Amino acid sequence: MSLVKSIHKWLSVLIGLQLLIWLGTGLFFNLMDHNKSRGNEYRVKSAGYSVIEHDRLLTLNTILKQSELKQPVNTIKLIELLGKPYYLLNHYQGLYQHFYNEHTLVNAYTGEQVIINDEMAQALAHNSYSGNGEIRSTQKVSPPIVDFLKEKNTVWQVAFDDKLNTSVYIDANSGRLVGHSNDDKRFADFFFMLHFMDFGSTGSFNNWLIILFALFTLVFCLTGVIWVLELLSKGRYQRAFSKK
Amino acid sequence: MSWHRSSRTYHKWLMLFVGLQFVIWSISGAYMVLLDIDYIHGDSLVIKHQAPLNSEQINYPIAQLYTDHPDAENLVLTTLLGSAVYRFSEGKAKYLLSADTGKLLSPINEADAKQIAKHKYAKSNAKVTQVSMVIDNPPRELNARHLPVWRVDFDDFASPSFYISVESGELVTKRHSFWRLFDWMFSFHVMDYIEEDASNKLLLIVTLSGLIASLFGFVLTYFRVFRAKKNRQNKTRRVI
Repeated sequence: MSLVKSIHKWLSVLIGLQLLIWLGTGLFFNLMDHNKSRGNEYRVKSAGYSVIEHDRLLTLNTILKQSELKQPVNTIKLIELLGKPYYLLNHYQGLYQHFYNEHTLVNAYTGEQVIINDEMAQALAHNSYSGNGEIRSTQKVSPPIVDFLKEKNTVWQVAFDDKLNTSVYIDANSGRLVGHSNDDKRFADFFFMLHFMDFGSTGSFNNWLIILFALFTLVFCLTGVIWVLELLSKGRYQRAFSKK
Repeated sequence: MSWHRSSRTYHKWLMLFVGLQFVIWSISGAYMVLLDIDYIHGDSLVIKHQAPLNSEQINYPIAQLYTDHPDAENLVLTTLLGSAVYRFSEGKAKYLLSADTGKLLSPINEADAKQIAKHKYAKSNAKVTQVSMVIDNPPRELNARHLPVWRVDFDDFASPSFYISVESGELVTKRHSFWRLFDWMFSFHVMDYIEEDASNKLLLIVTLSGLIASLFGFVLTYFRVFRAKKNRQNKTRRVI
């Protein structure tokens, strides 16, 4: 029994601080405003849907023939950006959209290849944004992207000067809206980083530090329970009552 | 009572009530950090095939598609088991068309679902044990918006299941025993056994009590480890 108590005592020195962090951040997750922490305060469904003139669309065979020679095409999606139709050609498909993908964007009426420049990225960002901020900066960012650690594609970061410091992220190849981030989300992300002991900000909770601490904590909690059971069996809980 | 003694009393009593949840937190937490999340999500069970389109396969033009299905939205041309197909939606319904003939391929039948699942499964020789259709009352692991689906169960380690959409033939989600267990671990971690929502009163009460109990524990550590050391040092000094 003294070994159990000794282990419990010394583990408390080792993991005590992180245990308080876990409980404190856990309390934060319990109480936080889940809508705010998503970072979508100013996110709106992109407006300005226009009718696609189907008879003006280039045939997919034309598109395929013009790009087949350069790169193989896995899928062709008909999408609409800023009220205009585009064909989105996929050359390499990841399991999910946020995994690494290779795309070409083509004007669906003319077949012209479109590269999303800073101006178009700004327009796309504005289209999903309902706040009253002005664009402060626009830059191309390669992963890792601090606001979206899971995203594996190069994105345009369009930063607005609103009170929440909203940033809108647009996939630089496909024009896909990766998401919005703001100070509320960054605040919550900071707590997740602490809870997951992800001090290198990799966006994952499978790191060796937390695994080590998790195992220590498991032993710590088990020794604690054994201690409680011992106190119970020795009648130490009742004695505390009868004293009062 | 001194800080030391009252901390001992409060730590002892509070932990009598919340100690078990600490064990549950540490078991579920350890499980979640030990198993790689990408493995848990079944990513290693799926092959995302790079299947290039061939213009000779497309004999049903897009203009014809819009004439036949004027309300088609979210149109995509892709391949399914080596054939070029169109996928699109009309409102909530999804459709699958042959890009060669324009023939409607959806809803897909059991044999197709099985073949699609096997094609996408990481091990080419895996055996399918059961194929069943889920139309309503989805199991806990399946989001109702995916319905109706074919559930294809594999005879492999950790009993994997692929869910193939009846309407689109797409792999909508997948599960295996370790993911199913992970979901349970998460619900026990956040103390919501139905919705898996971390904003619940039970968790709040237990976390608060646990935090207070731990702070008293911290005081105990201070007295028994750091003060004890100081006392020992003082004693040693006196002896010298």
